[in-house]
Amino acid sequence: MSQLTINNVRIAGMSACVPATVEDNRTLPIYKDESEALKVIASTGIERHHKVDDGVTASDLSVKAVEGLLQQMGWEPQDVDCFAYVCTSRDYIAPQTACIMQDRLKLRSDCCVFDLPFGCSGWVYGMSIVASLMSHGTFKRAILVAAETNTRNRNPRDTAVRPLFGDAATATALELDPELARPMNFMYGVDGAGFDAVWAPYGGMRNPVTYESLEEKEVSPGSFRRGVDMIVNGMDVFGFAIKQPPRSIKELIATFNIDVETVDLLLLHQANKFIDEKIRKAIKIPAEKTPYCLEEYGNVTSASIPLTMVSRCREQLAGDMKHCIACGFGVGLAWASMEFYAGGVTIPEVITY
Amino acid sequence: MNLEQFIENFAGLFDETPPDAINAGTHFKELEEWSSLVALSVIAMVDEEYDIEFRGDDIRDSQTVEDLFNIVAVRVEEEEF
Repeated sequence: MSQLTINNVRIAGMSACVPATVEDNRTLPIYKDESEALKVIASTGIERHHKVDDGVTASDLSVKAVEGLLQQMGWEPQDVDCFAYVCTSRDYIAPQTACIMQDRLKLRSDCCVFDLPFGCSGWVYGMSIVASLMSHGTFKRAILVAAETNTRNRNPRDTAVRPLFGDAATATALELDPELARPMNFMYGVDGAGFDAVWAPYGGMRNPVTYESLEEKEVSPGSFRRGVDMIVNGMDVFGFAIKQPPRSIKELIATFNIDVETVDLLLLHQANKFIDEKIRKAIKIPAEKTPYCLEEYGNVTSASIPLTMVSRCREQLAGDMKHCIACGFGVGLAWASMEFYAGGVTIPEVITY
Repeated sequence: MNLEQFIENFAGLFDETPPDAINAGTHFKELEEWSSLVALSVIAMVDEEYDIEFRGDDIRDSQTVEDLFNIVAVRVEEEEF
């Protein structure tokens, strides 16, 4: 079992930026009438999502999120020792987006920067990677971005995904603080045999872009996709998501002797309400301790846990230490669970791009 | 594993289709009420009742209720070993 404990690092601040344009699932052109739309909303809990305009990238949203956070915290860009960019909708095939972000954010030229191309498990994975680099003791301050423009790498005529996914960027500020920090505990999981449950088959080295991969094809009645678009096999994802995340959280609880009664917040990747409620009930955590933001923002993949914290737990996290469990799960198939404490966190209101 | 019980669990997932319209040989995808949402509820039922992870192919490759039952029965046996 791969498990990890990191000491001396705390979450100092968090922010989120979403595009201004909202797409309401009730009026999507993919349904024959509103009652069909309401049925999907009832089962997923997702009413609408934010969507970037043409030409806007995840990095554009991220710059806003990071700048808003630094400003609110009183950190200068030069204070940042490490910058990690969790995102699969990168600006270019090369270079890494984090390098370009160093210049755009005016980070130091000796800042440690890197991309982490994770999906829905990305914030939890990213936290463990950045915090463990910091725990060596020389990086004092770090920024972890988790951002995605899901409406750009999925086909708007793919009826299975259009109502579910949205765009958002988040920034998490981490600080080396042996006095205030409490241990963070992590558990990991992966099932590479399920790689084609969520994937984009064309555009990489295995299947390079061809003329044919850019042609839209009807993949099921009324639903269209190109070879380069992301495929989400709903049934495969669902079967995985109701099984592995509860197991992973239960492993976390058992391994680190967590008293579930003392947990203040269960922060789940916002997949859909049906899946997340099944996970919550399996862990036996009350509904009032499990915040959701998917009704407003949809599934924003790696950004969904931090967006939930920023948009739904702002006041709670600004106060006393809260005992939290988070679980990210999805594309890979990969998942990760985490126990941590957060309090006195600086969180500006959700920023609009 | 009991086929009768499985059929009862399966029939319980439908709102409008009466339970007696569903038996071992029913081609479930031809039922009027069958939809992608009912498919998800089958996956959830198999997880809850039998602790088995169903994948999309399991449903795609099955035609009758008994086909589904057979997949679950084989997996349950595998888990026991």
